[in-house]
Amino acid sequence: MTKPPGYRNRIELLQGTLDMLILQTLKRGPAHGYGIVQALRARSGDVLQVETGSLYPALHRLERRGWVSSEWKQSESNQRARYYRITAAGKKQLVADVSRWEQMIEVMGDILNAADGGAA
Amino acid sequence: MSWLPKWFEWRKDELDEEIRAHIAMDIANRMDRGETQDQAEAEARREFGNVALVRDVTEGVWRWRRLERFTAHVRYALRVLRRSPGFSITVIATLAVGVGAACAMFTVVDRVLLRPAPFADASRLVEIGESPKGGAAFHESPFLDIQQWQQRSRILEEVAFFRSNSSKVWFLGGNDDAMHVSSASVSANLFPMLGVHPALGRGFAAGDSGGPVAPGDAHTILLSDAAWRTQYGTDAAIVGKTVELNGERDTVIGVMPVGFTFPYEGMNATGLPVVWRPIVLTPADALRGHHQAPTYQCLARLRADATLASAMAQMNTIQPSVTATYTEIQDRENAASVNLRRYTDAPVKGNLRMTLVALLAASGLLWLIACLNVTSLMLARATARQREIAVRGALGASRWEIAEQLLMEGLLLSSCASVGAMGLVAGVLKIFQHSLTTQFHLHESLTPNLAMMGVLLLLTVVGTLLTSAWPALGAARASIEPALRQGAPQQGTGRAQRRARSALVVSQIALSLTLLVGCGLLLRTIYALRHVALGFRTEHILVANMTIPSYRYAGSDMTTALYQPLVDRVKRLPGVESATLLTEVPLGKTFQMIFTFDAQGNSASAIRRRALEAQFRAVGPEMQKVFGFQMLRGRFFTPEDTATSQPAIVVNRAFVRAYYGDDGDPGKIIGQSLFGYGKGWPAVVVGVLADERQVNVADPSQPEIEVCLPQITPTSMFYNAAEGRAMDVAVRTDRTPASMIPELRDILRATSPDLASSTFSTMDRIVEDSFGSQNLAAALLEIFGGSALLLCLTGIYGLLAYLVAQRRREMGLRIALGAQQWNVMSLVLAQAAWMLIAGLGAGLAIAWLATAALRPLLYGVKTNDPWSMSAAALVMFLGGLVAALAPARRAARVDPIEALRAE
Repeated sequence: MTKPPGYRNRIELLQGTLDMLILQTLKRGPAHGYGIVQALRARSGDVLQVETGSLYPALHRLERRGWVSSEWKQSESNQRARYYRITAAGKKQLVADVSRWEQMIEVMGDILNAADGGAA
Repeated sequence: MSWLPKWFEWRKDELDEEIRAHIAMDIANRMDRGETQDQAEAEARREFGNVALVRDVTEGVWRWRRLERFTAHVRYALRVLRRSPGFSITVIATLAVGVGAACAMFTVVDRVLLRPAPFADASRLVEIGESPKGGAAFHESPFLDIQQWQQRSRILEEVAFFRSNSSKVWFLGGNDDAMHVSSASVSANLFPMLGVHPALGRGFAAGDSGGPVAPGDAHTILLSDAAWRTQYGTDAAIVGKTVELNGERDTVIGVMPVGFTFPYEGMNATGLPVVWRPIVLTPADALRGHHQAPTYQCLARLRADATLASAMAQMNTIQPSVTATYTEIQDRENAASVNLRRYTDAPVKGNLRMTLVALLAASGLLWLIACLNVTSLMLARATARQREIAVRGALGASRWEIAEQLLMEGLLLSSCASVGAMGLVAGVLKIFQHSLTTQFHLHESLTPNLAMMGVLLLLTVVGTLLTSAWPALGAARASIEPALRQGAPQQGTGRAQRRARSALVVSQIALSLTLLVGCGLLLRTIYALRHVALGFRTEHILVANMTIPSYRYAGSDMTTALYQPLVDRVKRLPGVESATLLTEVPLGKTFQMIFTFDAQGNSASAIRRRALEAQFRAVGPEMQKVFGFQMLRGRFFTPEDTATSQPAIVVNRAFVRAYYGDDGDPGKIIGQSLFGYGKGWPAVVVGVLADERQVNVADPSQPEIEVCLPQITPTSMFYNAAEGRAMDVAVRTDRTPASMIPELRDILRATSPDLASSTFSTMDRIVEDSFGSQNLAAALLEIFGGSALLLCLTGIYGLLAYLVAQRRREMGLRIALGAQQWNVMSLVLAQAAWMLIAGLGAGLAIAWLATAALRPLLYGVKTNDPWSMSAAALVMFLGGLVAALAPARRAARVDPIEALRAE
């Protein structure tokens, strides 16, 4: 497998973080799939590239779990698109995900710092 | 299910639109940024990636996706199977035979051996019987003994008692619409001990002394559900009403639950509904003199921590003090030790248990053979479909999906076979209903139940795995490319598969041979049994087993009031040569009386005589004419032996041998008095019969005592034991015995309406029924062995036909180079012979070991009987060669030019 050029500059998403990012994006208002990709790319300064092969299965999975709901609407450019909206259960899930993520960062940071200290 | 595909289509359309919108927005965005339309479209598609893949992965998230794949597999499998109906039908029929046989046998085994008795903790119920020291006898006990066991044994939780009267027919209800029932008398604590309580009303009330029923309940009865249903139409108001039982008026106090029967079902030979009467003590129960107290069968519940052996040991330590109160030494000796046996073990004797297990194993073998056969077919089919499967693989089906598809086809075939098997099970059970009734006393017809459905499901699934897993995995593993390129089946896999299929055929031959040998052994057994010199004639004898309304004749002598006029009338029927009364015909299984001696002292002859158990029959003087028994010494009864003349008895050779303990002159017993009919009323032996097989055809003659029926008057001690309970009429005729049944029934009905429901049989039939377990085993093994042979031959034929088709070109080449027809044929036949020899060798080895299981059933033949083995092997070998003949001739007729051009 040869990687496409430029791929190395992007960060691969950690397992399970995509759901959190999608929910976080939708918290600012309903969006369609393309909109979510654009928003994530813009907000990460072009570093995060969400693959459509991961995005759509994730959206459908979130909908099955009841964390997002969807409806068909006209976009501002008059294109019919499917808009996803975060539900109450989704918001609750997001809070849980975020707190777990922060805990994770903290633990990881401790471990990495401790390792640094040992080496020094 | 039609909404499901539509719903899928709709959701897929929606997903398509979602993806199209995504790309369209991207394009619009890029064009806004100044890209040209072509550039924007190309970039947008590149960045989106593989549309089909995204769609596929997203659909995978949907909940119903798996179901959709499943239904797609089923639909495809159905199409494939419909396209080759010949193959499908062969597979389904083959599997149905195997599964059907196994399930039918399981239903019987489940019903007879596995289903626990319908009593609470049935394994802790034990029967208690008394016997002389160290003996195996199982005598009934008087109440005083039972009471002491109850009070003194710490290992018995509860001791109850009963009297079964199971062979006697009782009459429940009014005069002419009386219903035939069987009846048992029970103590008050019996049903509570079994953990069964009346569904309606109450049980018998206990008296002061625990077990026996209170005198207040002396004239009450409990109905079984079946009796209640049939005679009283489930009328709940019957409780408290007075009904007539054998002419006496009793109050119904309760109805037992559905399905409950006692004594345990296997012992209820008549299959009639039961009515229970109370055991109320009489003054006689308190007596300790010789034969003064009535005796009962005793049933007890062991404490949870007790074993049979520990209970027996403890009971035997207290037994001497229990019997100490007997006034006569001989009574004390007769009850010196106690025997225990598990109550629910009794009905199925070891012999029958072995028969059933052996037959279940045989049906399992047949199932295995069917599976092997189908595996071989599936392998051949997988080869034929190599190209199709390769194309599916090339189009993107994963290996797992291909294997899944093939397994699904196998499961579908298996399921169809199992549905067919249900029909076969019902059929097989129907055919063997008669044997099941006579052998196992199963009076209801067996129907498929939950356990059987479970086994059916298991066989279906395991059968699918057995038959399809190998071909499926093989197909999934096969590499796609060569199959696609060559188009024809590959040579490499062809050879491996040929070997695999040969091995399958060889195992089929081996297993089928085992069944055939078993079948041969039983056929020889049946032949031997049919040719045993019974010692009496059986042809042209009709037997009526009477349902005697003895209560109508209370106080009168039944012989003069009922039996004698009846026989006189029967004798006047056209075609009757002679007719006789007797308590039970030889080999009959409905009634048995055992006579034991009270020999005093400790001399060798006294000990021997105490151990002597003689068959006891009361017979009419014409008995010898009807059955043609041979007299060794003395005379048989004559019409001059009447109630007023000297009581005469006749014994058989085996009795003389057992009585004297030697093989001397049998005539020495003539003139001896063995017992008396009352005080100062001795009965004298007047004749000795030659030995006859009167208990089992396969068993040697048992000691027997016969007394003359007209001499048994109500004042003699045998009257109550013998006359009111069972009586058969045996008629010797020069007509077909069965054709006399209507006339005989008319005479019985005219004599007493209650006699109309007597059962009729011929002596030939009774003899056949007496070796019913062998007959049943032989009949089933014939079916199993025949089916196995047939399956095996189709297996040989199928494989050879396939090989010939595959080697057409080679055969053509051989013929073109000058091979004669015979050379080519022998090539194929040699292949068959090789498989047959290998299979037969293995089969004989298996049969040598496996037929040991049949040993208890065999008579007149050994388990490794060389004749049965060689006959079975010969049948198999010749059959195999015949099956090989058609493919061999096809090979010889290959047209060389056509065969060579075809490639």
